[in-house]
Amino acid sequence: MILKSLVDSYLANIDINKEKTDELGSSIANAINSGDFKILDVIINLKNEFISEDEKKRQQSLHCLSNILNNLSSATLKKNELNVIFNFYQSKIDELNNMTEILSGFNSLTTMDSVSMLEISTLLNIISNEYEPSKFLTPTRYQTFLILSNIIEKYKIEMKEDPKFLELFVSTFLHIANGEKDPRNLLLSFKINKTITTNFKNIEQFAEDLFDVLFCYFPITFRPPKDDPYKITAEDLKSALQSTIASTPLFAADAFSNLTDKLKASSTVVKSDTLSALNECINNFGAKYCLTEYVPLWNAIKFELMRNSEGGDVGLATIIPGNVNINSDVSNYQLAINIVISLARVLSEFDINAFNKFFNYILGELKPNFKYNKDLKQSSTVLSALGSVNAQSFNKVITNSLPLFLQNTSETNQLKLIIMNLSFFFDSYIAVYGSAEKDMLNNTVIESSLTPYKDEILMILGKALTGSSEVEVTLRTLSIVQFTKMIKMKEFLSEEEVSLIVQYLSETILEDKNKNIYYACLEGLKVISDIYEPIVYEISLKRMLSLLPNEINATINLSEGKTIEKELILKIILDYTTSRHCLVKESIYGICEKLYEIAPLENSNNYCFILITALYTLLENNISLIKDEEGKEIKNTIEDRLLSTLINNSSILNDNHNLNLLSIALFFINASSDRSGHQSALEKINDLFIEKYQIFNKHSRLVIPYTKLISGLDKDCKFNNCDKYFESCIILLQKHSDEIVQFNKLGYLELLMVMSNKWLDEKYVSDSLDNLDWSNLSSINLEILTWITKALVIKNSKYSAGPLEKFVNLLENDKVGDFVAKLFEVFVVDIGSYCSKKGISRSNNVKVLYKQKFFNYVFPEIVSKYKLVTDLNIKSNYLTALSMILKHVPNLLLELVIQELVPMLLEALKMQNADVKISSLETLNSVCEKNSVLTTKYFHTLVPLLLKLLKKSNTNNVRVRLLTMQLLQLIALSVPINYSQSMKNNVLTELLDTLDDPKRIIRKKGIDTRQIYFEIGQTPSS
Amino acid sequence: MSEFINENPEILDDSQLPTRKNDANDLLLGISDSIANLERKNLLLKIDNSVESEVLQNIELLDKLLALQPVPLLVSDADENESTDMEDDLEESDPIDRQEIFDLIASISDPEHPLSLAQLAIVNLNNIEVIDSGKRDEIAHVIVRITPTITHCSLATLIGLGIRVRLERSLPSRFRIVIILTKGSHQSENQVNKQLNDKERVAAACENPQLLGVVSNMLSTCK
Repeated sequence: MILKSLVDSYLANIDINKEKTDELGSSIANAINSGDFKILDVIINLKNEFISEDEKKRQQSLHCLSNILNNLSSATLKKNELNVIFNFYQSKIDELNNMTEILSGFNSLTTMDSVSMLEISTLLNIISNEYEPSKFLTPTRYQTFLILSNIIEKYKIEMKEDPKFLELFVSTFLHIANGEKDPRNLLLSFKINKTITTNFKNIEQFAEDLFDVLFCYFPITFRPPKDDPYKITAEDLKSALQSTIASTPLFAADAFSNLTDKLKASSTVVKSDTLSALNECINNFGAKYCLTEYVPLWNAIKFELMRNSEGGDVGLATIIPGNVNINSDVSNYQLAINIVISLARVLSEFDINAFNKFFNYILGELKPNFKYNKDLKQSSTVLSALGSVNAQSFNKVITNSLPLFLQNTSETNQLKLIIMNLSFFFDSYIAVYGSAEKDMLNNTVIESSLTPYKDEILMILGKALTGSSEVEVTLRTLSIVQFTKMIKMKEFLSEEEVSLIVQYLSETILEDKNKNIYYACLEGLKVISDIYEPIVYEISLKRMLSLLPNEINATINLSEGKTIEKELILKIILDYTTSRHCLVKESIYGICEKLYEIAPLENSNNYCFILITALYTLLENNISLIKDEEGKEIKNTIEDRLLSTLINNSSILNDNHNLNLLSIALFFINASSDRSGHQSALEKINDLFIEKYQIFNKHSRLVIPYTKLISGLDKDCKFNNCDKYFESCIILLQKHSDEIVQFNKLGYLELLMVMSNKWLDEKYVSDSLDNLDWSNLSSINLEILTWITKALVIKNSKYSAGPLEKFVNLLENDKVGDFVAKLFEVFVVDIGSYCSKKGISRSNNVKVLYKQKFFNYVFPEIVSKYKLVTDLNIKSNYLTALSMILKHVPNLLLELVIQELVPMLLEALKMQNADVKISSLETLNSVCEKNSVLTTKYFHTLVPLLLKLLKKSNTNNVRVRLLTMQLLQLIALSVPINYSQSMKNNVLTELLDTLDDPKRIIRKKGIDTRQIYFEIGQTPSS
Repeated sequence: MSEFINENPEILDDSQLPTRKNDANDLLLGISDSIANLERKNLLLKIDNSVESEVLQNIELLDKLLALQPVPLLVSDADENESTDMEDDLEESDPIDRQEIFDLIASISDPEHPLSLAQLAIVNLNNIEVIDSGKRDEIAHVIVRITPTITHCSLATLIGLGIRVRLERSLPSRFRIVIILTKGSHQSENQVNKQLNDKERVAAACENPQLLGVVSNMLSTCK
């Protein structure tokens, strides 16, 4: 028979293969569900085992039956079948060792559809009378909780109708819940408890017992075992317990008194649990209970609020509107404040008079503090918390508290306190009314009880800022911060008042030299321009721009004989306009206007320089902000005039920096403008420079702006006759190489690069490279070759390999090798107006990873050649070329070749060339930071080499000496002590020289380095 | 040291201490430049106080590319030694002044309080004197006058020792260091002065490992 074999197989697998028994159990159950067998057949099959003398066998048979029942669907059993099985289990109840299986069977039965009320009641009676929880292990007890939990879920309606049944249930529950300790059972116990208290009335008689069976666990602590199968966390237990305690007002009296008792505990953990439980109770029990309890509650948390151990953190408590989440990370102080807020909210929602009573009580207690200047901060926080609930409470609080401390005084400390306290009430305002946002401005003002004090507050803050001495940094910073906060308060200030604040802040930022105040003002102005950009423009930016003088040497006078440098004004403008559309645009216009006026003046080079710098920085910082339309507008407004100013004024045209920077500024303007206009722009530029100024016929400084301007244009523009101009450019350079000045030559070379990178065909460029005379070693020819090759390199062109190989070969040349070595830097150097940057990708052909490709090609070539030559001068050429490249290659790339690289770097330290040394030292510094093993390996070679670099000489310049000492420090910290100890005295002696170095910065570094070496091997003192 | 005799000394805020006006030159170290270029860069740093700024990098790039000329720069060792004197003119020198001495000792922590000597006004700028011709072969002097917080301060000698160790480690050997108390600031002024400037006694103190440990602790906060 199949069933027989299944059952036997089940019995055989018990305790051996749990998966197998589960599988068998469910397949038998399925067969019963589908009517293939009857449950009674199972019992018959197990009959022998049920009555066996062997207890083990009896247990196994019960296990089997319970498992099958557990898998049955609830509709399968008929009433009479169920009754038989129920009675069967009941008869077994005295077999204590099999209790788990029996209870599990009962549990399955309670979920069946055909179970009767009578049987449920009987079961409850059995559990409460014949089952003694303390005698059984956790899994057994778990079954009883499961049974009760199932019953209460299933029979809520019956319990509501039948008080006797409910009574039986509750007393059974109390019976099993008493003394429970297992976390899994407790979670169920709390859940059942909560279901009882939240679903049924008429349980007052049990309230105390139910509360006791809960509260005895408070505050609950639990550390989960290592591999806890149930994944219960301490947090689960804690929140289940808390929410159960707070579940019903029935517990109110007990909960409040017991919890406030617990607050006297010294442990902060207990306190924190208690405080958050209290908070939840207040939120759930409702105003009726809080009304009677607020006095003892207040008295209980008062200590936490007024004398809290984290005194310094008081100000950090923030007012969180609405329901407060229980978060284990918040401080007790914050939790106590949350209680105050909850109380205030619950009471004011219930009845404003109730709130008033509560408020008056607290106010009465806190009032003396204001009189005696005691715990002001804490008192203000409490009061402002009370006011953060809603408009009503806010008004009540403000009307009663502000008069307590708000008074005009010239006493600094008093003023500081007043301003600090105000801050808390500002927070309440924001909590109640919200913060100001740009899109919701309508220049209306909410009438609140704070409104009447507005003028006085503004006056006090203004006085603190302008009326106090400049030494009072704290006070003045506080005042600025509060001004900023007031701006954030929604619909509190009128536009006139905002203007007033803007004026205060911009005057202060101009006049004050203190860093803190500068940054506070800057932050304030930024916040304000977030919301009220037009006001900041009108009041602040216009004023700053107008302060810039129209003469070169004029001093700028502020009020009261104070002066300011124009550089500082520009710095301020740059600092606070960043990423504000209107401000950026207006500053660009303003500075351009100023430039038009200044450029024609004599000796205005330096003034022009700072204006151009500011313009450049504005454009550069905001390149991603200036979008098509805006870019077009800016281009239309300023480009022509800027260009003509550039061409017509020698202060710009004949000054290398000015010409270069302004040209790049023009590049930015082109790059950020709408691309549809680029074609016509290109034609216009060509007309102007090629036709009118003939830059390809005679060399001219105007090649610089021309090159930069076309760098900014779309590479898809059609450039007619580009190849022709390319050739005439080369001819111009070759012909006039003697007379052309270096600066102009550079412009033409860059132009060659731009043209061949953007508009000329790769093949064409490569062919013209081949056609050029590589045997002509004149410097101009080499430079032409270099720059054209660069165009191919940054494009990752396949044609770049050939020319590069020739360049590497040229390093061997004893005449020009050293010059070629330096030219290697050109290949990898990033030119500001010509690199792969976000927002201007369309304007050129620069590949992001070109340096990697270049390095991977050139490095092995150089290394292998370096190893072959013996001539020191040639070796030096290779090292120089390498160090030129290293300066511009990301460190990540170097790590791959580090083993080969380090010996070469050490060689480079012996070269008599400062640039080579610097580059080598910089690379060694970054190697040393990451790879202490390698550092240790070369320690004995490296340190003596470094010590030689400390002596001042032509090639050991300040930078070399500084980097050397930095490397010495790094070495001391990264090599094992037996290494560093051996060199300690040597290094200390050699460093003595640096103490008498003419440069202060070297002396300082020397002292620091010596200190590190002094400390090597010193036993750390306690 | 079990109990602070002087529990509530006057404390100065860090921002109130004298500092050197931020020296923009420090940021531009080692770039041997023409005076005009340096001036430009100083202007720039006033506007944007960072060497990272794009403008500055652009300017440096321009200068670098302009300097790319085929002039052999290989100098033999012999030439180099001769040119050291020339170098002195190229690299402007910063003299050792009282601010520098002050910076060296201001951040030493007081053995009693968790504060620095400058915050407690034990050392201050006006009580430091530097006599230095700037020539490397001439003896120079530093005189530091310290003011204990109270007239019976038992730790005046320890503070003095800390300052001496710090200065001896930090100054070139041509400097002679004198540390004395300001007049009338201590009950046993003469004895303390004598002890602080007695070479033998200082040397002996530095050989006491425990004492040296305390001094190291004081110096550990030096910037």
